[in-house]
Amino acid sequence: MAHRRGEIDIPRHGLILAIETSCDDTCAAVVDDEGRIRANVISSQGIHDRYGGVVPEIASRHHLELIGDAVDDALAQAQLKLPQVGLVAVTRGPGLVAALLVGLATAKALAAAHELPLAPVDHLHGHIAASFLDGSGLEPPFVSLVASGGHTFLALVRDRGADYEVLGQTLDDAAGEAFDKGARLLGLGYPGGAALERLARDGDPASFEFPTAAGLRGLDFSFAGLKTALLYRVRDLGERETERRRADLAAAYQRAIVEALAVRAERALAQTGLDKLAVGGGVAANGALRDRLAQLGARLDIPPRQLCTDNAAMIAGAARYVPAIRYPDYFELDVYATGERPLSA
Amino acid sequence: MRILALDTATSATAAAHLDTATGTEVQARDDPPPGVRPRHTTKLISLLTEVLQRSGSDWAELDRIAVGVGPGTFTGLRIGVATARALARAHGVPLVGVSTLQSLALGAAGAEATSVVMPVLDARRGEVFAAAWPARRSASSCWDPLLAPLAVTPQSLAELAPQLGADRLAVGDGSVAFRAVLECSGTRVPEDDSELHRVSAINHCRLAGGQPPQDPAGVRPQYLRLPDAELARRATQRK
Ligand SMILES: [Zn+2]
Repeated sequence: MAHRRGEIDIPRHGLILAIETSCDDTCAAVVDDEGRIRANVISSQGIHDRYGGVVPEIASRHHLELIGDAVDDALAQAQLKLPQVGLVAVTRGPGLVAALLVGLATAKALAAAHELPLAPVDHLHGHIAASFLDGSGLEPPFVSLVASGGHTFLALVRDRGADYEVLGQTLDDAAGEAFDKGARLLGLGYPGGAALERLARDGDPASFEFPTAAGLRGLDFSFAGLKTALLYRVRDLGERETERRRADLAAAYQRAIVEALAVRAERALAQTGLDKLAVGGGVAANGALRDRLAQLGARLDIPPRQLCTDNAAMIAGAARYVPAIRYPDYFELDVYATGERPLSA
Repeated sequence: MRILALDTATSATAAAHLDTATGTEVQARDDPPPGVRPRHTTKLISLLTEVLQRSGSDWAELDRIAVGVGPGTFTGLRIGVATARALARAHGVPLVGVSTLQSLALGAAGAEATSVVMPVLDARRGEVFAAAWPARRSASSCWDPLLAPLAVTPQSLAELAPQLGADRLAVGDGSVAFRAVLECSGTRVPEDDSELHRVSAINHCRLAGGQPPQDPAGVRPQYLRLPDAELARRATQRK
């Protein structure tokens, strides 16, 4: 069951070195006891475009090549030597198993070398914890909307610990995935979320009607139907007409994703009676989404872009609020791909 | 010289410590029972700590860390190399990458009379990782392979084996899995339960003693195979 942590008994670890390798970004960061970021290194692999998606084996090979330098760079930027670190934090899941294992092996070895404690962090808790960094952000309780290429969910965040309550999540594609798939159908390459947003600026969002999974009650999301609707629309229009109306298609498609997210965020606020909304994940960078969420009338917190996309500073941010495992009790720690996060580690 | 070695290329998690001055060897390993997945992630650090303690040694006293770079299971190799690099970096100990196949060859050549040793590991998908060395009883710096490590079908390996020499001994889980094919080609394979089939990190220690330390970033898994997605991409490009 949920392992509740108060706000008072935050253990003091000093400086936290965090490692994140759950998908295709190789990340290392140093964050201090107050949540101030001392270094936030993100090595984007930039290799997956040619495969039209993240390939686990290729991502894992690159993580191994990049992680050593990422850690060295983070320590150097923080002007720190490893023995001065008080806690090592690492993403344990969910994510690509082979990719997570590179980060976990590195983190365990670095921590064990100096008999440091190790904090295993849930990646999604990390996205929420991006709001706890650099002294900014919201005081719990608040509603958190996290939307990226890998995840889309709404959570009720009662405190800063890992026992946030998932209110709703996507039943199929993630919002960022919907952006990328739409972009590909419109010939914008992969990953095309940002390109789709740029194109949409010149289009009319009301020009086409795309589904927002309005029939789906509650707080779950579904984006698979949207992608299919665009596919059919592009087919019906034909090559020339699609080309001519690309901006309109992009704008209407983007509007559908934004609406799906905003409507459910609004429902979540109403359902919880809260008036604070934190937004995270790469999709939080989308201007149309930001504008739409600003209309909800809630207090809005959107961390800077480099804290919304995958990064290790957010993992360190979350590590401040999870129980750390003492040396040597973490030697047998394993990763997890999906499913239930172990709450009382 | 005090050398700590580890190998995660096969389903085993193997660790060893060798003090070359006294010849004292300490080994620890985990072999998952049939049907159980490799336990590299959960066992590796414990086993390393254990051999270090049992040898009465300490991280600060190590002269080398040796890691098996495969070929073998991709995920296992990455766990081993990531762990070895991080430990070497944290303790300032020089790192050496050792061929898992060569380590098998050293173990077999030291135990059984033969002129050629052919380590063979099961690479799945109907292939093996294999190589061949002239038999040597001890590790030395210039021990060049007769056949450099490669991924190959057991049939192809059996066909090219006779060119390597008349008296051949194959070891490793691949030689057990494809015993019939290899024996047909005149290659000897020890009994299934022979210790010679198991990767032992103590042979990594022996090999590492004669090797100069490497730049840790240069110690990489020997994958020998491209990722499937890359193979598929190249196949479409050729069309
Ligand atoms: Zn993420």
